[in-house]
Amino acid sequence: MLELAPDRNFELLGEYAIETEYDIVMARQTVRQFAKKAGMGIVDQTRITTAVSELFRNMYNYAGGGKVLIERGDVESHDALIITCIDHGPGIENLELAMSDGYTSGMGMGYGLPGTKRLVDRFEIQSKINEGTTVRIMKWK
Amino acid sequence: MSEPRNVKNLKDRINRIEDILASVAAGDMDARIETEIEDDLSGIEAAIDLLIDDLTDELRQREKMQKELETKLKEIQEQQRTIVQQQEDLLELSSPVSKVWDNILILPVIGTLDSQRTQIMMENLLQKIVDTGCTISILDITGVPTVDTQVANHLLKTVTSARLLGAECIISGISPAIAQTIVHLGIDLSTIRTKATLQDAMIYAMKQNKRSDEMKVLSRNALSDEKED
Repeated sequence: MLELAPDRNFELLGEYAIETEYDIVMARQTVRQFAKKAGMGIVDQTRITTAVSELFRNMYNYAGGGKVLIERGDVESHDALIITCIDHGPGIENLELAMSDGYTSGMGMGYGLPGTKRLVDRFEIQSKINEGTTVRIMKWK
Repeated sequence: MSEPRNVKNLKDRINRIEDILASVAAGDMDARIETEIEDDLSGIEAAIDLLIDDLTDELRQREKMQKELETKLKEIQEQQRTIVQQQEDLLELSSPVSKVWDNILILPVIGTLDSQRTQIMMENLLQKIVDTGCTISILDITGVPTVDTQVANHLLKTVTSARLLGAECIISGISPAIAQTIVHLGIDLSTIRTKATLQDAMIYAMKQNKRSDEMKVLSRNALSDEKED
């Protein structure tokens, strides 16, 4: 599995599998609940929910599903909601291209990844061909 | 006291114990040793009878539980079927297209727009446009909590298809939070006519109606003028 920067002490709020379209809906509703509980306003709730929706869909459409970790913790003295998406799909060949607006490898609009990045405060991505992709996003409270 | 059924000598009695145990093992739970002689061996014989009693009870209970489990399983399978059926029904029901005024269709969308639902929604809308000949349709997404790129893409496709049939599609009910999110995502919805509320969309649609009515009157007048000339 791909490793992102070693974790500070995050509190694990939940771990979910994305295997069907229904899982996408359930998981993103859960994220919205956690965002609400963390005290985020309606705009931030909508942003983080939309951001994770993009990531979950990517996992479902391109990697045949994956795993989601929802955590809360202190990042650079921000109270942050951290969501990590891990899949073992084909990986992304050209990350730079995938992160640029308007580029799509499949049937999408080409705004998924770059759009997601604009919706959150921190965006980390790692991908290896034939091993999978890990994306971690953070949203400050 | 009746004549004991049991044999007198020890060897026969042990043989009988073996026989009984064999029949129990074969599934005959009614077999008992039932000795009527009081001696050292009768204690063991009575204990074996008790054990068979207990075993019978256990087996009966297990059978009962198994039956209960089977009934429950059947019930659950039945419920599962109902759920699947209802989901299918819901798919049909969840995209009602209604004609609310002359020339105006409304499609209220509530809940999540997955690909299957959008497909049905789009088919319903396009069919209704053809059936009624309406040229204005309002897609109200007040009840859609999340608009990501896939949903936006579906909306764009629906609007484009409606346009190909000669109908204008207005999208209403985009909340301020969703509006900001769409802008951040980078999706361009400027090719679509959007209104904040269903009411605004309705007012716009009525105005369009009035305008096309006026146009009709004008062209009719022009035609009759030509005749007079």
